[in-house]
Formats: sequence, structure tokens, C-alpha cells
Amino acid sequence: MEPIIATQDLEKVYRIGRVSIPALRGVSLTVEEGEFVAVMGPSGCGKSTLLHVLGGLTRPTSGKVLVDGNDLFALSDAERTRFRRHKIGFVFQRFNLLPTLTARDNILLAQHIQGDGCNPHRFETVTNMLGIADKLAQRPNELSGGEQQRVAIARAAICEPKILMADEPTGNLDSESSAVVLNMMRSVNQEFRQTILMITHNPEAAAVADRIIEMRDGQIISK
Amino acid sequence: MIAQNILRRPIRTVISVLAVGIEVSMVMLVVGLTHGMLHDSAQRIGGLGADVMVQAPHASMFLGMTSAPMPVKLGDYFARLDHVKAVTPVLFQFDPSGVSLIWGIDMKTWDRVTGGFAYLRGGPFTGPYDLLVDNWYARQNRVRVGQVVKLLNHGFTVSGIVEHGKGSRLFIPLQTAESLAEQQNRASIFFIKCTNPGYTDSVINAIKKLLPNYTVLSVQEYMSLLTSNDLPALTDFITVLVAIAVTIGFLVIFLSMYTTIAERTREIGILKSLGATKGYIIELILEEAGILSLAGIVAGYLGTWAGRMLIHRAFPTVTVEFTARWAVWAAILAIVGSFIGALYPALRAAQLDPVDALAYE
Ligand SMILES: Nc1ncnc2c1ncn2[C@@H]1O[C@H](COP(=O)(O)OP(=O)(O)OP(=O)(O)O)[C@@H](O)[C@H]1O
Ligand SMILES: [Mg+2]
Repeated sequence: MEPIIATQDLEKVYRIGRVSIPALRGVSLTVEEGEFVAVMGPSGCGKSTLLHVLGGLTRPTSGKVLVDGNDLFALSDAERTRFRRHKIGFVFQRFNLLPTLTARDNILLAQHIQGDGCNPHRFETVTNMLGIADKLAQRPNELSGGEQQRVAIARAAICEPKILMADEPTGNLDSESSAVVLNMMRSVNQEFRQTILMITHNPEAAAVADRIIEMRDGQIISK
Repeated sequence: MIAQNILRRPIRTVISVLAVGIEVSMVMLVVGLTHGMLHDSAQRIGGLGADVMVQAPHASMFLGMTSAPMPVKLGDYFARLDHVKAVTPVLFQFDPSGVSLIWGIDMKTWDRVTGGFAYLRGGPFTGPYDLLVDNWYARQNRVRVGQVVKLLNHGFTVSGIVEHGKGSRLFIPLQTAESLAEQQNRASIFFIKCTNPGYTDSVINAIKKLLPNYTVLSVQEYMSLLTSNDLPALTDFITVLVAIAVTIGFLVIFLSMYTTIAERTREIGILKSLGATKGYIIELILEEAGILSLAGIVAGYLGTWAGRMLIHRAFPTVTVEFTARWAVWAAILAIVGSFIGALYPALRAAQLDPVDALAYE
């Protein structure tokens, strides 16, 4: 079967004035559909950059990204946005929920933005599975970190994207909440067959994954 | 989400709504006031029954704005022209305390041009410091015959109350007006009655030949000038005020949306990470501005209504004339102004890089 993500010699150089900072230096990797992959590596080695490039948020300086058979950066801006919103959900270290909206509205907003192609019956399934069904009326600042992250996962998973990209999803959580969140990610991965790419600093978290990718200095050193 | 954003920043919301409201009521009141005043004065000039009016060179369209007096003697020349039945001079005096234009009139010739006043109470002047008022003025100011009214720093005794619709609302004898103005034998305007209205043009031509630089108009022409919508002097005036009003609305909405976007950069990053297109973001911002300006328009209509009440209370004889057309125009201008004001912030928000926006504190 064709891999869901495949990259070839990805490079990304940030330029700040005359200084250029190479963040990715020739990354080639493939991820199979349904895989749960953890990405580890020291701070500044380019993990977040890789995730942003694979998720279509940032354009690489050179190289190709194939997601579900589509050359992501051959698409126009608008096409890539549309593609991204159907195929990829993001979860961030800082939860990134909209503070003015309740948990329910945060999830519904994602549904709304994604428009048709979003199964409305999934709402209950997802919120039940993530154990937030009784927290839906609360706003983010009335929820614990773990609960906020579960809402964020629900939001990312609600429209059944093929891929979930998580950048240190447990980075701001205590170990107990981390365990719950990781568990949930695992269930999402197994029950909905969503491919997960998760950045983490924590070996325990990485242990949940099927495979661990180690990065250093913008390169993958082991798969 | 739009509603949340609007409610969560109440001060910003109130200020934006107020600004648009002020914009709308300013447009409507300015237009309403000028239209009301012009229609009013056009009607009263028409009610005189004169055919031709003569003013000094470069006289203002708005009677009384410039005094620019002419020698009263000119009237004798006009009277000798063919087809002229009667000529009457008027000297304008402006009384700032009551915002009213007082006409100094020469009763003998006035009667011949206008057919005379219809006296509802009392009668003509009997002394130099006598005053005639129209029934409107009398009612609004509760003035009775025999009462002393203070005008131009003098006490005037009301000798009669006349039916409204002939030129002004307040009349004093011409000589008195002249001496108060410290101008002997001067007139601001001559009204001329032709033997037959059909001779109006030939009388005008004859006067223009006699006094080429003078402002000579048929009363008909003057009325249609005042009531037409493309009166140049008027449109300039209105345009300037309307432009100021729209600019206020535009700037406030611009600033309001611009700061909102700076404040919500992270939020926009989140929306983009969820797959929101540029169009979605632009629509979101414009919609928010649209709701603010709709609320502002409603506030503006209320403000207009309140403004008219205040004006009527302070200046009972002033008419404010609203037309549905200008209500619609004021709304359209407000919406267009805020749309343009919100456009740049919206485009900027749409251009934000999602990764940068998410990293924004
Ligand atoms: N927007 C940017 N502009 C310039 N340089 C950047 C930018 N984003 C990242 N970098 C640089 O690129 C390199 C890789 O950054 P990246 O955020 O991908 O690292 P990371 O592995 O996610 O680190 P951490 O574990 O601390 O999150 C770093 O040297 C960083 O300073
Ligand atoms: Mg990172």
C-alpha cells in the first residue's frame, strides 16, 4: 500500500535578515496509514518545523511532500488549505482553544470550518470517547489542562482527518493527565484508524507509539 | 464567535457603534436641516408674489448671509422700466440671539409688490420701533400684540401678527433697519412685480443691461435653485460635512478592527490551522464590522430623531426635513465606510502566516 506521508530530501532554511538558519537538512521519511509515530530529539533540532511542513502550514525550501498521494506544495494556497482541512488535524502543546467559546463551540467551529464532509453524528462518539461529554458547556479557562487537551484532540479528530499531527501534546500536562491524553490518542489511532505523528520529549510518551523517529540537527538519525 | 467577540469587548463595541451612529445622524441632520431651511425659505420667497429679485454683485444664494447693500435709489430706476408694476427694497438684519433674519421693509411699496399682509391680529407699523411677526413666530414664542420683544439690542413693540409665508417671520420698518445698520438709504435686495408675469424675462434683461454685474434672478428660478438637489453651493457644503462624517466612521471602524486583529492574531492562527481559508477569515472580520455598523445605523436613526427633537426645542421655527432617500443614503455611506475601514485589517488577517500567528503571544 502507498504510504500516507512520504517526503524526499526536505530542506527548510529560515532567514532572519542575512542570517540563515537551516532547520531541516534533507529529511526523507515515510509513514504508513494507521501508524502512530513519535518524533523525538533535542530542542531546536527541527521537529516542529518538520510537523508544520508535513501539515502544509509552512512551505519547505526544497524537497517534496506527498500526503495521501498529493504533492502538497504543488497545490495552490487555497487548494492546500482545503486539502489540509480534510486530511490533517493539529494538536498543540498549548491547546490553542478559542478562549471565548465553550468546549462544544470550539469543536463545532472546526466542524463548521470543514463544512460538508463532516459527519454530524460523530460529535457524540468523539466526545464520549474522550470523556469530555459533561464538560462541553465549559470554557477553556474553566477546564484543567488535560481536559483542554482532550477538547483539542476532539476538535482535531472530529471530521475524521486521515492524519493527526500533535506537537508535544503532553508538554504542558502533569504525568497523570499526560497518561490520559496519550491513552486517548492511542484509542483515536486504533478506533478511527487515524495516522498519528506526535512530537514529544518524553520517552514514556514515545513508548505509546508504534515507531520512534529520532532527529538531530535537522536530520533523521534513526527510524 | 462573532457575537462573542463583540460582547467580550464592550467598550470597543460601544465606541464603534457610537461612531457610526454619530456619522449617520450627522449626515441626516445636516441634510435634513439644509433641506428644511431651504424649502422653507424658498416657499416664503415664492409667497411674496414678486417676479424678479435684484441683489448686489456676488450676492449669496442664501439671503442674509451677506448684506452687500445697494442704494435704495436704484429702485426708482427699476420702477421706470417697461412692464414693471412695483418695486420694493428690503434690508436684511440678522439677529444672532434668535437666529432669525429680520427684514426691514418699506410698507408703501411692499404692499404694492406683495398685495399686503393678511393681519390676523393688530395692524401695520405705527412707529419706528414697531414689529410685525408672523403667526408661526407668534405661536412658538408666545408673542402678543402690544408686547415688547428685544431684537438687535432694542425693544420692539409688536404692532401686528400676520399670516406666515411672505418672505420672513419678522419685519421692522426699513428706516429703522437702516439706522440700526448705520447705513443710510440702503437695501439688501429689491423685489419687483411685473405688470404681467410673462414680462419677467424682459424685465430681467433690461436690468442686466443697466447693471451687468448684479445678481438678477426671477423668483421662479431662485426657488427652483433652492429646492433642487444639485444646488452647487449646497452640495459642496453637504459633501464636506458628509465626507467628514463618513471619515469618522471609517477611521473608528478601521482602528477598531485593526486593534482587534492585533489582539486576536493567535486566534486567527488557530482558525487557519483548522483549515480556514483566507476568504473565511476576511468574511469573519467584515461580518463583525458589518454588525457593528448595522448597530451604529440603528443608533444613528435614534440619534437623528433625538437631534431633531433638541433642534425643535431650541429653535422652534427651524424645520428639519428628512427624506427616506437620505436615510437610505446615510445607511449606505455608513456601511461602505466601515466596509472599507475593515477591509485592510481583514486582508492583513487573511495574509497572516499560521505558524507565526500561533507563536504570537
Ligand atoms: N519562524 C522561525 N524563524 C526563524 N527561525 C526559526 C523559526 N522557527 C524555528 N526556527 C529555528 O529553526 C530551528 C528548528 O526549530 P524547531 O521549532 O523546528 O525546533 P524543535 O525541534 O521543535 O524545538 P523544540 O523542541 O524546542 O520545540 C531552531 O534553530 C529555531 O530557532
Ligand atoms: Mg517544537
